[in-house]
Amino acid sequence: MADMSWNLEQELEQGRAPAWPQGGHDVGVLKLLRLRDQMKQLLMEYSAAVRGGETTFLDQVVEEKHIQGVTEDLQTDKEEIEVSFWNKTLALQRIQLMAALRNKMKQDDKDSCLILETVNRIVLLSQAIIKYQQLAHEKKQKLIDIKRKRLSLKKDQRRKLQQIQTMKKKQKKEKGNKNLDEAKMLQNLEKERLMTTVIQNVFQNIIIGSGVNWAEDPSLKAIVLQLEKNVHLP
Amino acid sequence: MAVLRPLDKLPGLNSAALLLVGSDEELQQKLAEAILQEKRDFKISIHIATSLPLPSERDHLRPRIDLIVFVIDIKSKCSLKNVEASLAYVDATFFLGKVCFLVTGVGRVNCCSIETNAICKLGEAYCSPMLFCELELEGVRVSTAQRLLRMLQICAGLVPGFSALSFSLLMRNSADD
Repeated sequence: MADMSWNLEQELEQGRAPAWPQGGHDVGVLKLLRLRDQMKQLLMEYSAAVRGGETTFLDQVVEEKHIQGVTEDLQTDKEEIEVSFWNKTLALQRIQLMAALRNKMKQDDKDSCLILETVNRIVLLSQAIIKYQQLAHEKKQKLIDIKRKRLSLKKDQRRKLQQIQTMKKKQKKEKGNKNLDEAKMLQNLEKERLMTTVIQNVFQNIIIGSGVNWAEDPSLKAIVLQLEKNVHLP
Repeated sequence: MAVLRPLDKLPGLNSAALLLVGSDEELQQKLAEAILQEKRDFKISIHIATSLPLPSERDHLRPRIDLIVFVIDIKSKCSLKNVEASLAYVDATFFLGKVCFLVTGVGRVNCCSIETNAICKLGEAYCSPMLFCELELEGVRVSTAQRLLRMLQICAGLVPGFSALSFSLLMRNSADD
């Protein structure tokens, strides 16, 4: 098998076509330029291979992380480029479509009339759409204004209710205080009344005890009779 | 050295080397002759082998291999097995555009013993382009030879500004779309 392949090699190398064109002086320069391009290409390939095998990290983990980071960056770049490529294709197709339409319209036969009609109809419909969209927008604005007013009114209402509540609380407190004062006053009054009753009784008893005929003296009579009634205060 | 590496040896000036690996010697011979018939302006050497690894006695005489073409005959399962076994002796950096799978015998659909699915999966797994052809027919052989010649030119670095890797990516993206 090895010999066979070697023999075939020999035959094939002998049978190949001449590689260099036989020629004169200018062709030599061309040859050299071509060789130079080839060597540049080969140099690029070899240096790329060398660069590829160069990254030697001491730590396996760091290298893996580095590779992961680089892979992710490349993936995002790739996706961005794909997206931009698709956008550009779409834009190009749109341009081509418009150019084809324009050419077709210039031809001026019944197809182009149809196209023209359709385009006009499209324009009218778009205008109507724009108008209705504007109306809708205005209505939405009005709705928003009304809602805003409602919100502010609600806020006012809330504030007022809070004010009412605080006032009511104040009033209750004052009433409570007043009640307390009243109760104190009533107590004092009651004390005074009792004292007055006691003094009256003592006065009566003094007049009766003194043995004076109080029925004759009208002033004394008035006093005693008056003093009979217990001082009753409502 | 048992494993083939792409950048082991220095390249020759204005020359390229092609390696055909496959089980059918005759077909490969015919394909090689067709490639040599094509007009070109660089030196070309075609090496034919039935399986890898290549015998190491002649290693110093062999030039740098620029493109490996694995020939799979769709009518025989053993060619696929042979190719799969040989793939182990190729360095991973070779698969950056310098390997190509050539599937022959697609003209006869009723004699297929390998499923196209399996072959396509092989091509995807190794990120290499898959060419379908029918080497028995003259015309298809000539056009395949032209394609392989062009690919060889690119893989040897003889087309300035276009590398094997960019070519393989181009083939892959257009196949996906």
